[in-house]
Amino acid sequence: MSETAVEETDVVQRGALDLTLRRLRRDRASMMALGIIVCVILLAVLAPWIATLTGHSPIEQFRETGMTPAGIPVGPNAEFWLGTDQLGRDVLVRLAYGARISLLVGVLASLAASLVAIVVGLTAGYFGGLVDIILSRVIDLVMSVPFLLCALALVSALGPSILLSVAVIVFFSWAPMARVIRGQVISLSRQEFVQASRALGAGPLSIMVVDILPNLAVPIIVYTTMQIPSSIVFEATLSFLGMGIVPPTPSWGGMLADASSNSLYLIAWWMVFVPGLALLMTTLAFNILGDGLRDALDPKSSRMARNLKRQKKAASKP
Amino acid sequence: MRSSGTSAILAALAASTMIFGIGAASAQEAVKGGVLRILATGEPDHIDPMAGAMVNTNNLARAISRQLISYEASNDPEVAMRAVGDLAVEVPQPTDNGLTYTFKLRPNVMWNAPSGPRAMVAADMERGIKKMCNPQLQPATLSYFTGLISGFAEFCDGFAKVEPTAPAIKKYIEENSVPGISAPDDQTIVIKLKERAGDFIYMLSLQNAAPAPVEALDFVPDSPEYRANYVSVGPYTIGEYTPDTLLRLVRNPAWNAESDPLRKAYVDEIEITMGLQADAIMQQLQSGDADIAYDINVPTAILSTLAAQGDEKLTALSAGNTNFITINTQSNNNNGALKDLRVRQALQYAVDKSAIVQQWGGSTVAEPVHGIFGVGLLGHHKFDLYPSTDSKGDPEKAKALLAEAGFPDGITLKMPYRNKDLEVATAATIQASMARAGIKLELTPVTAADYYSKYLTSEANIKDGTWDIAPVGWTPDWVGGAARSVFQPQFMFDGTHQKYNYADYNNPKANEVAAQAINATTPEETAKLWAQVDEIVMGDAPVVPLIANKNPRYRSEAVKNYQTYALGVEGDWTNVWLER
Repeated sequence: MSETAVEETDVVQRGALDLTLRRLRRDRASMMALGIIVCVILLAVLAPWIATLTGHSPIEQFRETGMTPAGIPVGPNAEFWLGTDQLGRDVLVRLAYGARISLLVGVLASLAASLVAIVVGLTAGYFGGLVDIILSRVIDLVMSVPFLLCALALVSALGPSILLSVAVIVFFSWAPMARVIRGQVISLSRQEFVQASRALGAGPLSIMVVDILPNLAVPIIVYTTMQIPSSIVFEATLSFLGMGIVPPTPSWGGMLADASSNSLYLIAWWMVFVPGLALLMTTLAFNILGDGLRDALDPKSSRMARNLKRQKKAASKP
Repeated sequence: MRSSGTSAILAALAASTMIFGIGAASAQEAVKGGVLRILATGEPDHIDPMAGAMVNTNNLARAISRQLISYEASNDPEVAMRAVGDLAVEVPQPTDNGLTYTFKLRPNVMWNAPSGPRAMVAADMERGIKKMCNPQLQPATLSYFTGLISGFAEFCDGFAKVEPTAPAIKKYIEENSVPGISAPDDQTIVIKLKERAGDFIYMLSLQNAAPAPVEALDFVPDSPEYRANYVSVGPYTIGEYTPDTLLRLVRNPAWNAESDPLRKAYVDEIEITMGLQADAIMQQLQSGDADIAYDINVPTAILSTLAAQGDEKLTALSAGNTNFITINTQSNNNNGALKDLRVRQALQYAVDKSAIVQQWGGSTVAEPVHGIFGVGLLGHHKFDLYPSTDSKGDPEKAKALLAEAGFPDGITLKMPYRNKDLEVATAATIQASMARAGIKLELTPVTAADYYSKYLTSEANIKDGTWDIAPVGWTPDWVGGAARSVFQPQFMFDGTHQKYNYADYNNPKANEVAAQAINATTPEETAKLWAQVDEIVMGDAPVVPLIANKNPRYRSEAVKNYQTYALGVEGDWTNVWLER
């Protein structure tokens, strides 16, 4: 939003950011989602502290206290608050360290995907013509490639690692956003302020970055936020299939895979419940926050418009 | 010769039988009739017994075919592993300095031929052996026979040039003979060997050496047409078959009980339903909707519950297999550290074998091993060249050996693992125990299908040091005197690279003693000599033995007289009866 929204009231003059935050703060679901995200971040940040507190490292195997002689994990108890996994490792500590991986991969991959999307979308939308045709076909191509099949093939060929996981996720998630940005850029670049800028002698790069990009803030922020949960799920999927984060490094997807192997979930509910709930709450929180952000940033968006209409109707009725 | 993943059993053999609780089934009255319902995740690898390679296929072959030599179904390992006559009246003593075997065939054994019951004769047995080297489909065990039977290798060389069509195969088999196999009369077959082999009798118990009727030659081996026109000599024959869905075995009208001392054939039908998940199979067995599982081990989690309840329908059977870490001595990583005996010995001390036993479900289903031969093999004996308390490993000793070899700060090794079931947890366990001794393992998951076939056996991967050490498994091909099928494919190098002797390990002294062991005639002498081979090999430490595991099996309440068939590592389908 480039124009400053000015509200003609008695005293206060509010900036765009202030207004956005006010709108966001009024949305209770968003605030709860934010709370959950803060908790997950805290969990990730405090992971080493949790390890010290419990005295368990995330990869240490407690074969005497954390497992029965027949190799069955023990449930939540005083020593292991959230139970142990199939190797006698502390689920709580692994959950905390797994949060680091999930957030790292989620945020990193989403930012990188957004960057790629912005560059491709801007270039294609602004220059049009042959450049647009080529880039648009590339977008189509990426969107038509089956994600899981390709990801598994790539990982089996190159060997799994965090970096490769991020790269695979970025490769498969920038395309939809790039398409949206391209559309926006095409409509923006026909507007008068762009022509004015050009008339004043601005070059393409300057127009793209200085004039057009700030107008794309809303889709970029919203799409990036929405991309984070998908990236987290992508990573969990890869790890679940044993092709993501290399063991023994904990990751939520890997923890779920541990539970499903050898039917352990039948007797060790905590091995499914704990990482599963963490994954569910985190992705849900990011999705709700993304929704809330869109509404707050763009009062013209559907939900806001609906609310406004309802208010008007209510006002005009009596 | 097959390498097996720890959970996927490929080759055949059963050794010691560990029973959680034996029902008093044998004391009860036998009941005839009923349908034995068997559940499977997938298809049998082959239906033609000549080609079967998986352990569980032996159970199918037991029902629809017969061999010269076989084993009695029994829960007493001594009995279950003793070779007895099946089609042969008895196990013959070799003559001609151990080179000639003369088998007398049982009378009244009948083929269920399309034209009506017909007696099985020596020529059918000869045809069955000849059929093994057809150019279309050959069994994995063929090399044992070509290596021993006089003139068989030459016969097979000629066969290889034949077009892989049914008429051409039939023509070659009927018009050519193997010098080492002769049938002086319909009830006698004589087999001459190139060299003495104390274990030849066991090879004849393999399903691959089953007799073949003349009708079998009308079709390409194990083709859909062959399966549709199957001619059985066993108590059952194929009634209905829909690939990947259902295989129904019905009684063979030509079979008579007097001609078959090993199979009682109590049930009327055997119905194998395929395409189910392991969890679903276990649920149906527990509820009594099905009777026996075809191709799964009881999952660890369910195993512990059943064992805790003392469920007597739970049985743990050994297939004589071992799990061990193979060491790539050709790797040049860390300046070729693994070529140094002291580093390999350090690995022996570093591993915590008791942790792996625990991972597999505890001492009821696994035990630590310290040599190359699994429990139940002639040659397996208790010894440990690298001892530690409770087999927990000795990290300090490992560290000292590493320091002596020039690695005081530890060493980093690359270890791939099979991304399947328990093997993931096993890899993590090995990693943790090696870490205690300062050995850092870089783990690489490899998909189950590629692990042996593409990753480990690739000569480029071995030479380039793509992997340094790797957890693997091995199951011998037959019962008891099967040490040869462990040693020869994995620990002998004669200049030609063998697939499963990954880094071309060879020790002339071990080879010499092994040759004596193969020639030995008494079980005691054989066992003693193979035990020596085991100790010689372990002195070089080319592998780190981990555990010998048993295969947990479960059956429904209705199944009675559950007696183990050694080759199938399962209760004998042809001897159980049902009480619903």
